[in-house]
Amino acid sequence: MSRVRDRNNSAWLLPTDGTRTNHRQRREMRRYAESDEVDVVVVGCGAGGATVIQRLARAGFSVVGFDAGPFWDPDTDWVSDEAGSHDLFWTDPRVISGTDPVPLGANNSGRGVGGSMVHFAGYAPRFHPSDFQTATLDGVGADWPINYEDLEPYYQDMEEELPVAGEHWTWGKPHSYPHRPHPVGGNGEVFQRGAEAMGLTAKVGPVATTNGRFGNRPHCIYRGFCLQGCKVNAKASPLITHIPDALAHGAEIRPDSMVSRIAVDDRTGKATGVHYISDGVEHFQRAGTVVVAGYSIETPRLLLNSRSALFPDGLCNNFDQVGRYLMVQGAAQTSGRFESEIRKYKAPPPEVSCEDFYETDPSKPYKRGFSLQTVAPLPVTWSEHLTAQGHWGADLRRRMTDYVHWASFGTLCELLPQADNRVTLDPQTDQHGLPVANFSYSMCDNDRQLLDAAQTTMEEMLRAAGAAETITIKRFAHLVGGARMADDERHGVVDADCRSFAVPNLYITDGSVLPTQGSANPALTIMAVAARAAEGMIKSAQAQSAQT
Amino acid sequence: MTKSPIPYPRFPGFDVMEQAKHWDQVTRELVESRLQPPDGDSFFSLSERAVAATLCDQLTGQHEDPRIPVVQMIETRLAANRTDGWHHADLPPDRRTWQQSLRNLDADAHEAHGTDFPTCSLDQQAQVLTSIQKTSGLWHGLRADEVWNLWMRYVCAAFYSHPWAWNEIGFPGPAYPRGYKNIGMNRRESFEVGQEHPEQGPVPHQ
Ligand SMILES: Cc1cc2nc3c(=O)[nH]c(=O)nc-3n(C[C@H](O)[C@H](O)[C@H](O)COP(=O)(O)OP(=O)(O)OC[C@H]3O[C@@H](n4cnc5c(N)ncnc54)[C@H](O)[C@@H]3O)c2cc1C
Ligand code: SF4
Repeated sequence: MSRVRDRNNSAWLLPTDGTRTNHRQRREMRRYAESDEVDVVVVGCGAGGATVIQRLARAGFSVVGFDAGPFWDPDTDWVSDEAGSHDLFWTDPRVISGTDPVPLGANNSGRGVGGSMVHFAGYAPRFHPSDFQTATLDGVGADWPINYEDLEPYYQDMEEELPVAGEHWTWGKPHSYPHRPHPVGGNGEVFQRGAEAMGLTAKVGPVATTNGRFGNRPHCIYRGFCLQGCKVNAKASPLITHIPDALAHGAEIRPDSMVSRIAVDDRTGKATGVHYISDGVEHFQRAGTVVVAGYSIETPRLLLNSRSALFPDGLCNNFDQVGRYLMVQGAAQTSGRFESEIRKYKAPPPEVSCEDFYETDPSKPYKRGFSLQTVAPLPVTWSEHLTAQGHWGADLRRRMTDYVHWASFGTLCELLPQADNRVTLDPQTDQHGLPVANFSYSMCDNDRQLLDAAQTTMEEMLRAAGAAETITIKRFAHLVGGARMADDERHGVVDADCRSFAVPNLYITDGSVLPTQGSANPALTIMAVAARAAEGMIKSAQAQSAQT
Repeated sequence: MTKSPIPYPRFPGFDVMEQAKHWDQVTRELVESRLQPPDGDSFFSLSERAVAATLCDQLTGQHEDPRIPVVQMIETRLAANRTDGWHHADLPPDRRTWQQSLRNLDADAHEAHGTDFPTCSLDQQAQVLTSIQKTSGLWHGLRADEVWNLWMRYVCAAFYSHPWAWNEIGFPGPAYPRGYKNIGMNRRESFEVGQEHPEQGPVPHQ
């Protein structure tokens, strides 16, 4: 454990008196003047952004992290309630289009320090080695300019820092987790039973939730509100896993500050800082390097909104790559009715996984695969499962009374990256007058085949576990891509180290850079990629100062 | 505090508010506020509000007082423009879609039954709604399924955030700081209540 602490002291900087926020640390936070040229500004304090802020601050860089949303205090800002958690989500307007439009909001992105991980479920699996080479292996998708081995040490670091709990993992490249698996609730038991009856392997975890104390973070209390923000500090989010250590090393977090445009010097072609709006007033922060980590929708939107003489079609968009190859996982959920009481709201929604179907199966007509996991919709979300079957009125009410009898599973299907699934700017503007993102999404045949196969498997598992009836809701989850890494500027926006091809002092370190998505939940991979990029930035700064 | 007037009493005597003293203050105040008469800003015109109220009654099967104040909760949300953060490219933003669709609903009632939607009989109202739900493609120029889903999304988010609705479905509501100790199939906490007829299926009270 001491090794983690030497690398990242966040968990030990949280209070021990039952409150969740170190207010003193925030009060005494270092503050930079706008006229100072800080070494680095980071746009977005979520999975990718916060990781970079912590790594760079620790290495001695002066860093300011901007977030459009608040600097959360779990004690006073978050509630143990579904509808009351509305403000955790990015609710500024966005337009969705295409033949399979993807609803955003609650289901897809967060706003505020900690980013979407504040309300993420908490699954923290690694990608499989094959995910980095789908073009070579399967003739679909793209090859990454890096491979699994390049990320492996960062996966290990992040699993210790979050920390991740789970059984020994036999899929992908086998590995173990630092924390023991959690006990499972009724929903998890159904999953295990169904898998066993079908001869499949089920494993508990991997979840970014403490099992036992970790630093000053307490044990999970199995209250089931992980998607509403963990008021316990048991579930990981950068707010508690990386920001405290960053503050301790002199980083400044500037919350409630929406970056509207990245400034580029037309003469040098270098980024000079960011324009941002706070309390309705526009400001400018000078910086030596700009890092963008605003999520797969806001990152492309910010680049496209940052037009200049050098970049008339948007920053880094000389080859029309910005916003393209945006991916989302096919995340249908299937539920089954049991005579027994399941009461799936007890215990965290993420409990048990199966990755038996993750890889391409040569006997199937489709490429790539899907994973299966437990999910546990609370009442408002559960009502969506029933309204999706067409129920309303008294019929809906009666069926809802059956809530405690239903178990729910979710799939994550690796839908393929396609150039026309992309973010563009819409004529509609937000409250700051900035054009909003239009996200167009359409599935291909392979995608539909995967979804059908995954749904059938979930239905079979639920029946094998004893379900008398099943229902399915079709949905999507986990956006990545939109500014992908590639070998050159004709195929992507950033290089293997997350440095943009177009602007030498501009980096992108969030989920946008992923060229493929696998069937794994993305947050751990996003953090690993960001940690690797930060190390590259530190090394290149060291090399530069050695030269001068 | 009024006992909840639930018409589908599957969990006899279950009242989540009895546990409110065990919840953290911020959550408790929020949930308790839902039991007070709503005092949010208004958004609908008088006639829109009447149509919206009838629509909400139908969609939630609430035809008598006391009701969960669904329409007021939606109106508060629309007044503050608290959307879910997205809308379909072929649908106007939520506020405009609500207003337009309420007008269209009233027009359908007039066409089919010669009177305002709120003054139609309950059966006539249900008929109007059923035909909208069954429409594939456009309804008064808007995608019928997108409008229907928008209504249901707002209505259910309001209805199932109310403690009376939780009583009806056996959900104990907030769980902080206490959490759960007895997780697993057929295991209950002392404050969770069993069912009168657990053997009954999903449509038990016809
Ligand atoms: C309901 C839900 C459940 C999920 N469950 C899981 C799960 O179990 N496992 C998993 O791995 N993943 C899960 N995810 C996905 C995961 O949370 C995201 O993939 C991940 O957090 C994305 O990281 P990011 O760095 O790209 O962006 P984010 O973490 O979203 O961070 C982006 C940040 O940038 C800020 N920002 C954006 N634009 C600007 C701007 N212009 N100026 C200033 N700030 C800006 C935003 O406010 C936000 O805080 C879930 C997501 C949701 C919504
Ligand atoms: S179940 Fe555990 S991890 Fe999830 S919100 Fe509750 S305490 Fe946090």
